[in-house]
Amino acid sequence: MTDGPLLWFLNRGTGAAVLVLLTATVALGILTGRPIRSRWIPGFVTRQLHRNIAVIATVLVLLHALSAVVDTYVDIRWWQVISPVGATYRPFWLGLGSLALDIMLVVALSSALRARLTPRVWRAIHLSGYLTWPVALVHSYGTGTDSKDSWARWLALSCAAAIVLAATARLRSERRYDRELRSVGVLS
Amino acid sequence: MRPVVGPGPWLLRSPDPSLETHRSTYRPLTTTSAENLASSAEAAALRGRGGAAFPFATKLRAVAARRGRKHVVVNLSEGEPASAKDAALVLTAPHLVLDGAELVARALGVSEVHLAVPDEHRWISEHLERAIAERPRTGRRRFRWRFHEVAARFVSGEASAVTELVSGRANLPVTSWVPTAIEGVRGQPTLLSNAETFAQLAALVLDPGSARPTDDEPGTRLLSLNYASGPIRVVEVWHGTPWCAVLDAEQLSRPVLLGGYHGTWVAGGALRNRTVSAADLADLGSGLGAGVVIPLDEGECPVHRTNLILGYLAGQSARRCGPCLRGLPALAAAFDDLAHGGELDPVLELAGLVEGRGACAHPDGTVRLVRSALKTFGTEIEAHAHGTCTGRALITAAVTA
Amino acid sequence: MTAATNGRRSRIRVDWPSCQARGLCHELLPELIDLDPWGYPLVLGEVPPELTAAARAAAANCPKRALRLESR
Repeated sequence: MTDGPLLWFLNRGTGAAVLVLLTATVALGILTGRPIRSRWIPGFVTRQLHRNIAVIATVLVLLHALSAVVDTYVDIRWWQVISPVGATYRPFWLGLGSLALDIMLVVALSSALRARLTPRVWRAIHLSGYLTWPVALVHSYGTGTDSKDSWARWLALSCAAAIVLAATARLRSERRYDRELRSVGVLS
Repeated sequence: MRPVVGPGPWLLRSPDPSLETHRSTYRPLTTTSAENLASSAEAAALRGRGGAAFPFATKLRAVAARRGRKHVVVNLSEGEPASAKDAALVLTAPHLVLDGAELVARALGVSEVHLAVPDEHRWISEHLERAIAERPRTGRRRFRWRFHEVAARFVSGEASAVTELVSGRANLPVTSWVPTAIEGVRGQPTLLSNAETFAQLAALVLDPGSARPTDDEPGTRLLSLNYASGPIRVVEVWHGTPWCAVLDAEQLSRPVLLGGYHGTWVAGGALRNRTVSAADLADLGSGLGAGVVIPLDEGECPVHRTNLILGYLAGQSARRCGPCLRGLPALAAAFDDLAHGGELDPVLELAGLVEGRGACAHPDGTVRLVRSALKTFGTEIEAHAHGTCTGRALITAAVTA
Repeated sequence: MTAATNGRRSRIRVDWPSCQARGLCHELLPELIDLDPWGYPLVLGEVPPELTAAARAAAANCPKRALRLESR
């Protein structure tokens, strides 16, 4: 049972799911910014969603990595899951995946232990989470066996579009907020 | 401008600031226990001279009771532009301040004293360094004096801002969840007091015979007298001295701002038959604060003077706490409007919104000034509403920063 | 600091330098936290025992950890 298409499907399925969930996490993280005030969605909803989806993504990415290790069709050792270097199977692209997983674990840990960290340190670690998204995307392109398929392309494009939309909304809000502060005479 | 320092009956009685003269007036420094110091301070009802008037004995006992590494900080930053008493002490009696700090440090088993000096007035640290160089470097324990430059901002001299600076962080106020005596510099017990408080303690311990212990409020106060022009005059008076010995008849007939920019106004003539004492001033709804006295200039309008001060205070926010950053400029603008004949309600509303909401006392002190101006100058404000001003001429007094 | 759950009242305290006017506390505890014209919290009173859980949620959900619950 360590061979055959089941693990391969599991791996690809979880991979695609993680990509979608990471996109949602990052987009929601962008939208929890200060100046964004939605009339329909309260701030705590956005924040809780961001957190919960991030947790699910972290669990899924471990499953994704596990299915790759257990599958004997490709030679991926368990330590290569965490180490970005030293893999034998598509080392560069796999290494990127390991990097993204590492960052996800560190961010999750830092948030769990938030009370013990200074705000600045926590924030620095948390913002490094931004990296997981592009790294995961490139990893999926390089290691993914479906990269050439149209559904994979559409998936990647949609994820990118979601991020761009969220970022645009945030930047607009920030500019509006800065303008408001400046007009009141309080330069931000 | 350096202050002009009048001779005083107790702290300021040394003719020159040298160590030799100091030692001829006062007993030599010894090591005494924290409880002895606290008892002396308690017997003399010594309260902090930095504005909060906290009983020194309580503070000392609180720090002494804790375990572990402790810190002693002398606050010489004097962020209030109208105050110059700490500078005056450095000029005329630096060894009193240093002795007081050293007494406390030895009692607490601390071998290093932090001196928070104003960055703006380099001469203060120079004078202190000279005085320190005069002091003997004997004893098994090497005693260290560490200087910390406090920014020229009004809020930078606040206790938590100084503690932050000494801890190696930004020189701005933070929320004080626990008193500094329990958790101060780097989270360790810290005795932080104003320079004059340390000087008072030293004079108490090293020359007890000269104090006047029989009054309800024993001891002296250093007052910073601000006149229309010229340097600040620092004088020392016993508690209970009548105000007519401090200010002339003309000044007493006009309103006086007591306690500095975070203080309270007293109406013209109110001080004529009163004395320099907390009890007397409490009757008037006022207090000495850090001993700043600002009599109104001749022909000046108190509402406009308050307006100028508020404009200054609004600009001195550390820009960290929302209600201060957003609320103080709004309050200053509303008061400005009122001073030009506008509405009273916005001022009251903003005062209520800003009060008690901030990490330090800056918003509270500003509101105190506003409320006292509203209470004391009802007639003047009324006149302004009708387009007239009771001041004969509008003197735009420079609010020095 | 956490509030006692044995029916005692607790107090909400704001860490002003950390507060960035995100307003989540007001969303989760509108009975006790109002917002001033600039979006910063106005604490309306002490926390009665029945609102302790909601107050804890408000403190836990502050993105800047600027809200604390102190037992009296």
